[in-house]
Amino acid sequence: MTEKELFTVVGIRPEPPAPKKKVKRLKGFPWISGILLALILLCCLFAELLMTKEPGYLDLQNFNVAPNGEFLFGTDTLGRDIFSGIWYGGRISLTIGFLATLISTLIAVVYGSVSGIAPGWLDALMMRFTEIFLSIPGLLMVLFLQAILGQANVLSLSVVIGVTGWASIAKVVRTEVRQIRNSEYVVASKCMGGKFPHILRKHLAPNFIASIMFMVVMNVRGAIGSESTLSFMGMGLPLEIISWGSMLSLSEKALLTDSWWIIIIPGAFLVTLLMCLTNIGNYLRKSANRKESNL
Amino acid sequence: MSEILLDVQHLTHVFRLDKHAVIKAVDDVSFQMKKGEILGLVGESGSGKSTVARCIMNVYKPTGGKILYRDIDIGDKAQLRKHRKMLESLRQIIFQDSTSSLNQRMTVADIIAEPMSIHRMRPARGSLRAEAEFQLSYVGMDASYLDKYPTELSGGQRQRVAIARALSMEPELLVADEPIASLDVSIQAQIINLLRHCNREHGCSILFIAHDLSMVEYLCDRVGVMYRGRLVEIAPTAELYANPRHPYTKALLSAIPIPDPIAERSRKRIDFDEVSFDRDGVLTRIAADHFVLMQEEV
Ligand SMILES: Nc1ncnc2c1ncn2[C@@H]1O[C@H](COP(=O)(O)OP(=O)(O)OP(=O)(O)O)[C@@H](O)[C@H]1O
Ligand SMILES: [Mg+2]
Repeated sequence: MTEKELFTVVGIRPEPPAPKKKVKRLKGFPWISGILLALILLCCLFAELLMTKEPGYLDLQNFNVAPNGEFLFGTDTLGRDIFSGIWYGGRISLTIGFLATLISTLIAVVYGSVSGIAPGWLDALMMRFTEIFLSIPGLLMVLFLQAILGQANVLSLSVVIGVTGWASIAKVVRTEVRQIRNSEYVVASKCMGGKFPHILRKHLAPNFIASIMFMVVMNVRGAIGSESTLSFMGMGLPLEIISWGSMLSLSEKALLTDSWWIIIIPGAFLVTLLMCLTNIGNYLRKSANRKESNL
Repeated sequence: MSEILLDVQHLTHVFRLDKHAVIKAVDDVSFQMKKGEILGLVGESGSGKSTVARCIMNVYKPTGGKILYRDIDIGDKAQLRKHRKMLESLRQIIFQDSTSSLNQRMTVADIIAEPMSIHRMRPARGSLRAEAEFQLSYVGMDASYLDKYPTELSGGQRQRVAIARALSMEPELLVADEPIASLDVSIQAQIINLLRHCNREHGCSILFIAHDLSMVEYLCDRVGVMYRGRLVEIAPTAELYANPRHPYTKALLSAIPIPDPIAERSRKRIDFDEVSFDRDGVLTRIAADHFVLMQEEV
């Protein structure tokens, strides 16, 4: 007799084995955007393998060269190879995007959870604060902070964009937490002795992750956009740190010399990346909504 | 078997709705539970049964009264802190609604193993998953359910998962808040048998909350009847069913259908007159172990 047989309860009718699960398909996943995004990510990650020139090297004999066999995407007004710069600078742009989003999401999750489980008055206070925060234009805040911090570098720019972009995610986290915190399975978990970190990890986070995924992806998009805007305006990364934004900041000079490739090429990459992220974000939002209505 | 496990003394719980409105959900309820006993708690919807259960589990802080668990005053902060870990593993609750008491985003295996992982218990059967599988087989479900989500299960299966989770800690006191209310009759019987088995084989005391009186008669050693937050009568099962004293108990018992058509036809229902209910009585002993809420005789 096995242990299992020893412990069977008299009279209990065993349930038939469960039917095999159907394989879930990624319904409506934007494949083209996904593949393009993956390509861009991979190329930027392994930029060293692709680069044909030193991206920061100022080739003073070859500036404003149109795309040709040697300089695939041409060179900019300072004589830098754009093809190499795209991959190398893309890495910087993406780093800022992800780092800023990581900072925003961390702040948002902590702030939102605290507000969600806090007593009514504290919650109200914290939410009013986020609303005030949200009503100040993000770019203005970034400019202000950047002015205080002085000359921007990758880290400081990420921090600045990160600490200004958490409020809307925090609001969603807070709403979700407030809904879940009194649900019976959280009460059950508390009865079993579950402490706050356990409840956050096992019960709260899995529930709000689905609903903030979309916002997180959009936050990456926003951060990359902010970096480009700032650098384009000459208030972000300086010219010598190559990013898609700082490459675009040369466009004014490029317009004077009719060098379309200096504007079009980094611009096209930027637009493609942002569009891919938007499509994926929209897919995530739709699938989160679908799950909810399936409950 | 006469050691007292749970001693509820003058438990009162008031919900404050706003500045002016309050609901007295539980009003001066006292009872004791012996070790190894199955105590039934019946009463109509809204009579405060779940609130009693939640006070016992430290979910609500009672407005008044005292609850002693093995001589530990669980309303006392210092004592609670000292014995918290022990209490959390010895007392387990099965909630009324298994749909909302299971996290939809966790698999059955994770749900059942949750209390064990919270208490960082060394699984006796190797891994938490093996432990979950064992508990699941104990409630009549096999390993193919381990990776399912609660939404993929039927109501009865969900309730069994909730029971398996509670039993995984080998509780000393199991509070079962209407564990069978939403299930069909054949599954009800299975779950009742399961609870009975736990009681007989593992000596687990059960506070069984229900409004189905026939199941209570079969399962419980003693039964308490609640009405509008008050405990109106408490007695050993046979005594209560044979000799109900409080008018509300009489009305409640007269509503049980009799599985014999001829007797059923002649069954008279006693109506309980709500206006006549006197909530200021005192629980008075009228026979050994039989207490009824009565007007104090001067
Ligand atoms: N969280 C709460 N806030 C305010 N009032 C509550 C709360 N929980 C319960 N009540 C009220 O307390 C009273 C008793 O509720 P309780 O849930 O204990 O009843 P019950 O006997 O378990 O009923 P049922 O058989 O329907 O489960 C009811 O009038 C109910 O409206
Ligand atoms: Mg209830």
